Amino acid sequence: MAGRVIVITSGKGGVGKTTTSANIGTALAKNGHSVVLIDTDIGLRNLDLLLGLENRIVYTLVDVVEERCKLKQALVKDKKNPNLCLLAAAQTRDKSSVSAEQLKKITDKLKKDYDFILVDCPAGIEQGFQTAIAGASEAIVVTTPEMSAVRDADRIIGLLEAAEGIDSYKLLINRVRPNMIKSNDMMSVEDVENILSCQKIGVIPEDTGIITSTNRGEPIVNNEKSLAGKAYINVARRINGEEVPFLDIDEPKDIVGKLKKFLSGLGKHGKEQ
Amino acid sequence: MIMEQYTEENTYVVDLGEINSAADIIFNLSSILDNSEARNKKICLKLGNADLNQAQILSIKSLINGINSILSSIDTKSAETEKVALSLGIIVSNVSPENITEVNPEVPYKTAEEFKNETQAEIQEEIKETEAQEYNENQEIIKEGTENPEEIKEEEIQIPTTEEQVNIEDKNQLQDELEVIFGPDPAKTSIFNMEVPKNMYEEKEGLTDIIVPEQEYTKEDIELESFPTKYIKQTIRSGQVINYEGNIVIIGDCHPGCEISAFGDITVWGVLSGIAHAGSGGNQKARVRALKMNAIQLRIANCYSRRPDSLNTVYVEKTNSFTPEEARIINGEIVVFKIND
Repeated sequence: MAGRVIVITSGKGGVGKTTTSANIGTALAKNGHSVVLIDTDIGLRNLDLLLGLENRIVYTLVDVVEERCKLKQALVKDKKNPNLCLLAAAQTRDKSSVSAEQLKKITDKLKKDYDFILVDCPAGIEQGFQTAIAGASEAIVVTTPEMSAVRDADRIIGLLEAAEGIDSYKLLINRVRPNMIKSNDMMSVEDVENILSCQKIGVIPEDTGIITSTNRGEPIVNNEKSLAGKAYINVARRINGEEVPFLDIDEPKDIVGKLKKFLSGLGKHGKEQ
Repeated sequence: MIMEQYTEENTYVVDLGEINSAADIIFNLSSILDNSEARNKKICLKLGNADLNQAQILSIKSLINGINSILSSIDTKSAETEKVALSLGIIVSNVSPENITEVNPEVPYKTAEEFKNETQAEIQEEIKETEAQEYNENQEIIKEGTENPEEIKEEEIQIPTTEEQVNIEDKNQLQDELEVIFGPDPAKTSIFNMEVPKNMYEEKEGLTDIIVPEQEYTKEDIELESFPTKYIKQTIRSGQVINYEGNIVIIGDCHPGCEISAFGDITVWGVLSGIAHAGSGGNQKARVRALKMNAIQLRIANCYSRRPDSLNTVYVEKTNSFTPEEARIINGEIVVFKIND
């Protein structure tokens, strides 16, 4: 069976493409799928850092393209999960080092041996973006509930629709703060969905644990207590075709709020019965 | 055609890696060199497993000199060719990237503490006895060795020589030997039967006497000491690459994501956090020194080691007092020593 090539893109920088790639990749690998993560952000690579594999990289995507090594040699195995491999970007080169056709060749080759190939796309809509989407048939558009990120996501969705080869795209809304949505300071998830008229595949709550996990080089899905980690695991299951209800990310801090939530939950449960 | 050429910094690469017979190498090379692009260039010759002897390499050299180019380096997988080329003063790089991965990448570099208990005594002896003794022994050799490459260069300038310079007797003698080497195919031998000048040919015997083949370290030590040194007074940041065919001294920090590679030693007067590759031409005696060693990866010649995962920290604390550290190859693995005294 041929593997699926999914590109993770956003347009705007800093919305969490790389974090999403690392976590979905790790979650899929944990579920027993073989996964390759490709970092196409040549010159500004970060995916290796998030996975804690920085010190293991000998060959990069550019070395594979320029035939200095074999594809298998360049795949860095994850420390914990043998199902997960990373094809890192070169730090000392720029985006023009890899063309769309060359990346497509690599993803086509990887498709034969792996279940999932996740391509971490660089920010922007220039050559790097065009290269990253070349081999992919599916896309995940990452956005945050901010006007600037949503605008950029809209632009990206337009480009994805125009691009050949992208069959489907889904929306992932990152860094959602339920408290701010309640006080009408932030767009709600539904608002974002309506503006972009695109189906969502996941909602990730804002989590300070992401910062610690990035600094430690340990994806947050490995932390079972983290809400963001759970949300990413759910996204991975949805990618795999399972129907998973969206996580209740509403998390009041005070005891009264918690009690209210608990009681309302009971009520809902009762109604359903 | 089995060749690959690209021009980068006046270098012309000729790839004959798939040819295994010496005669074919020279035949192909001569047809490649007819190309006007190869003139006045530094030629980098890539050879495969073919074993070339001294006369064959000299013929190649004179072929290249004949078009006003210089044979800058040879890339070979054959130990025999490497030995001969080194004895002729030609730079040999056999550290193809594939060689590096053969070393287990899962081995983090050892700190001196880990290594000290086992081998400190031996190392001390090694340094004191062998280095001191053999250094003295080799002083004369080094002197001669440094003079000779210049001699060769002078003669290289004289080339191309005309037929008149070569005595008829010598020419006959030469042709006889070449026939022994490459077989009596006149079409092939004719390419170089007169390109090798008389003085060049004699030189070869003189050169073999200088380098003592049984002591491998001497050749590397000589190489190290003859390298030029480049000083860089700036912080090397992520994505910056420094390559130099000699020693590199950096006054400043080397941030993660930078790559420094030198044929000789790398010395960093600051924190080294990037990738450092000393002895990238294959010199096993090359070393990496830094005030604070935090390199993501250390590579010396064809050895590879990575930073232990426990040291994957966000940043390195800069204290007022550093203990300088030095990495070198001992028994085929890279060991980092703290220099306390």
